[in-house]
Amino acid sequence: MRQMGQSELFNYINQVSFMLDDITLYLNTHPTCQQAIAKYNYYKDIRKEAIIIYTEMYGPICKYDVNVNNHWDWVNKPWPWEGECGR
Amino acid sequence: MWVYEKRLQFPVNIKETNAKLAQAIISQFGGPDGELAASMRYLSQRYSMPYKEVMATLNDIGTEELGHLEIVGTIVYQLTKDLSLEEIKASGFDKYYVDHTLGLWPQAAGGVPFNANQFQSKGDPITDLFEDLAAEQKARSTYDNLLRLTKDYPDVYEPLKFLRAREIVHFQRFGEAIRLVQDKLDEKNFYAFNPAFDKVAPCIDMNKCK
Repeated sequence: MRQMGQSELFNYINQVSFMLDDITLYLNTHPTCQQAIAKYNYYKDIRKEAIIIYTEMYGPICKYDVNVNNHWDWVNKPWPWEGECGR
Repeated sequence: MWVYEKRLQFPVNIKETNAKLAQAIISQFGGPDGELAASMRYLSQRYSMPYKEVMATLNDIGTEELGHLEIVGTIVYQLTKDLSLEEIKASGFDKYYVDHTLGLWPQAAGGVPFNANQFQSKGDPITDLFEDLAAEQKARSTYDNLLRLTKDYPDVYEPLKFLRAREIVHFQRFGEAIRLVQDKLDEKNFYAFNPAFDKVAPCIDMNKCK
């Protein structure tokens, strides 16, 4: 993941997160489906690692993960509606 | 509690403004079958839902709809960003502009403001879930209409296609939810009592009550 560029890693996070969005809705109505549970665990770990790497290299996606030194980065990183995130 | 992530569920990067399209698409922001109504519908209904799988479904779909509201808002914003006064007049966007400039405001394509009457929270699981199934289909039809209007604009078309597909998935999940609810009720009469209100089912067979 560290070899990916910013926009590639950002898109990857979006894709893996979407997998989880879809699987978790499915699990709500099929809480014992072992196949879905295995997929959930697989993508959960990938997403966790991707977000840690992205945050460290390019800045925070979530306000609880800001690496604060002397400036509050949350405000100057682009917002998603600006069409610039991950570029 | 919600935690914001600085990303869209599906990316939106529109290169050319188009105020005419924005005026149609804004209906999915604040219109009768739009994402704001969808989110408020499910997030309102979840409190009184007595079954845990269905409560989770309402909570999580209601949350995803907030993300969809953000996608639609982003499409409208990018389609109207930095419009010139000439473009505003030529596209018919002047009627919106006079009240909101280039700000986002929840309304239907015809200018009707967002209203809580666009959705229901009835406090009856069967009633609420049938409302939700209908809502997903109405939103799907609206996206079908928008897709016909935007087929020559791939930057706009792709996120709308994604949103349309989600309506179908949500319809599927709500269908499963209604099955889960009916499994817990009397199969001879699903409407004998409201499991979200009547603490004890009334005796259907009066002889058994005696």
